[in-house]
Amino acid sequence: MRLSWLENNDNLQANLFTLVIHLALFIFMIFSVNWQVKTPYYAEVELWDAIPTQIKPKPLIKRATPKVQKPQPSIAEKIVEAKKDADIQLKKKKAAELKKKKAAELKKKKAAELKKKKAAELKKIEQLKKKALEEEKLAELQKRLLEDEEVEKVQKKLLEQDDLERLQEELRNKDLAKETRIAIEGTQDLVAGTNSGELEKYKALIQQKIYQNVNKQLCGLDPLELIFEIVLMPTGDLIGGAKMIKSSKIESCDQAVERAILQAQPLPMPQDNRLFSQLKKLKLKFQPNGPIN
Amino acid sequence: MKQSFWKFFFLIWLVCISNASHALEVIEILGGKASQIPVAVIPFKDNNAQKSMQLMHEVITNDLNRSGLFSSIDISGVSDYPIDEREVNFSNWAALQSQFIVVGKIDAIGRSNSQMQVTWSLIDIYKEKTVLSVAIKGQPSQYRVIAHRIADTIYEKLTGSKGVFDTNIAFVKKLGKEKYSLFIADYDGHNPRAIVNSRYSIISPRWSPNGKKIAYVSFEKKKPVIYVQDIETGKRTLLANFRGNNSAPAWSPDSKKLAIVLTYSANSQIYTIDADGKNIKQLMRTRSINTEPAWSPNGKEIYFSSDRAGSAQIYKVDVDTNEVVRVTFEGNNNVSPSLSPDGKLLLFLNQDNGSYRVAIQNLLSNQMLKLTNGPDDESPIFSPNGHMVLFTYKDYGKVTKIGTVSINGLKMTPIDVGSETILESTWGPLSD
Repeated sequence: MRLSWLENNDNLQANLFTLVIHLALFIFMIFSVNWQVKTPYYAEVELWDAIPTQIKPKPLIKRATPKVQKPQPSIAEKIVEAKKDADIQLKKKKAAELKKKKAAELKKKKAAELKKKKAAELKKIEQLKKKALEEEKLAELQKRLLEDEEVEKVQKKLLEQDDLERLQEELRNKDLAKETRIAIEGTQDLVAGTNSGELEKYKALIQQKIYQNVNKQLCGLDPLELIFEIVLMPTGDLIGGAKMIKSSKIESCDQAVERAILQAQPLPMPQDNRLFSQLKKLKLKFQPNGPIN
Repeated sequence: MKQSFWKFFFLIWLVCISNASHALEVIEILGGKASQIPVAVIPFKDNNAQKSMQLMHEVITNDLNRSGLFSSIDISGVSDYPIDEREVNFSNWAALQSQFIVVGKIDAIGRSNSQMQVTWSLIDIYKEKTVLSVAIKGQPSQYRVIAHRIADTIYEKLTGSKGVFDTNIAFVKKLGKEKYSLFIADYDGHNPRAIVNSRYSIISPRWSPNGKKIAYVSFEKKKPVIYVQDIETGKRTLLANFRGNNSAPAWSPDSKKLAIVLTYSANSQIYTIDADGKNIKQLMRTRSINTEPAWSPNGKEIYFSSDRAGSAQIYKVDVDTNEVVRVTFEGNNNVSPSLSPDGKLLLFLNQDNGSYRVAIQNLLSNQMLKLTNGPDDESPIFSPNGHMVLFTYKDYGKVTKIGTVSINGLKMTPIDVGSETILESTWGPLSD
């Protein structure tokens, strides 16, 4: 029931559709796909100044010199025995001491080694970090360069496209002009219709050029009218002067207007032969003191 | 069915259009420009003529330039001076943008070569033909008059109106303390001759339309009175010496009557009076000031200035019915009216923002055009053909001078009549 209502409501349908599309676009804008193809950049071998050494540190052996006690002169066996015991005990003690010392030394050595190792590792990490940073920078630079290149490419492409389009349009226009010309030449009846713009343009140009030369001061103040007929060459020059059809009845005015026509030579003429044939013979109507009521 | 009808209609329409395209194309050119006709006046070839005659082309050029309807072509780069059509290189002159050229030669004729003959031609550069070819004789001393007449002939041929280059002007000069003179001179200020000398101020000189008399206001009776003086004989008559001030004489077109202003009964009012001083009549009776009368060319109306609307404006009154119509509306004040010979233009002083400028108003369209920049321009008067205006102006606030301005506003030219201050000026009629 509800669905059918929606189906029937075109407006709402359209609005909903628009909304969906917009939403989709919005989502797409946020979670957009990076279309850019990343070209692999050159692998670089970095020469390190200090390679973390794996060489074992020299064992710090302290040759403990055993204390040798001078044997005392034997007087009694007990004393000798005792002395022997004491000697053994001393020897034992000394051996233990040596052992202890050796263990400590080993411990120390191990610790030093560890320290050194740790330092080397740290250095390595730091260097690695540095390298990574540099690499990152490089990558960025490269990326930027690449991007620039891409932009340029795109621009170039666009320009080319523009040029192409322009060319196409020109061609199309040319074709159109050709077509128009063909049409004009083909159907004479259409001439006035299709070409009236150009015709009017040239009429206005001629009107303007003659108007510039009309010295209305020589025509008194009363409203009056003069009509001339002229025949033109394609160059815009007159053939046989200007023929007066209607006089203003003021000689100076008639003369002034005639001079204005003569002075305007060469009149602007179209290149097109068809158009020229329409402007070849013209009737010029003058009202120097404004329109006659 | 409906579609096929429209197709048919469209076809018909196409046919109509195609038919129309075969008719003559019409181009309408509405209006025009106020441009100047470019003309080159070539120095006349002199065959043993006097030196002064060689300046004729300069006089002609100055005349044509002053009119505002012509612009002279600079010929300083031209080396060969043609004397007639056959010697003219038309394409060269067309390249110089010249529409016309004036060429000629001066020959000494008569007994002992005392007379001169000037043979000159006006040549149309675009039509490549001679428009005018005239020979004129005269004394070498008359070279300016001959040149003015040549300029007049060219002017009339190309503009259809008579030239005013062979007319006269009159002006009052203050020559010193208690020393005033009314002068008559050529229109360009040359050949001045005093016709009235007075210890008292002279104002408002007005030439009679027949050119025989001059009316003016003199203060010699300790108040303004109006005299009429015969130019040829120098004889003068007191036209108006009524109670109060007598001022602002204006000749009727037939030279038989004058309109004058009297303060006979309180303030300034306009009266008409016969040229012999008889038959005085008051034109209107109002409480406001009516002054500065000027006749319309048909003699049926008198234009005048009045303060009846608060500010000074120009009105016209029908001489027979006394019906008054206001004419000017633009500007704070409009005073000193006068009419063009065809009656189509009103000339007056327009006052706006404290400065007085010469202005004209087309009485058909009521459009106003300010011709000068002021700030202290005065006494404007039309040339006899109505194409120029003579007026006085203050030269940087010092001395008042006179000059002409063309009614298209394109050309303002001073008239050099010396360094003394000018009180007022007027333009004489065309000589017969």
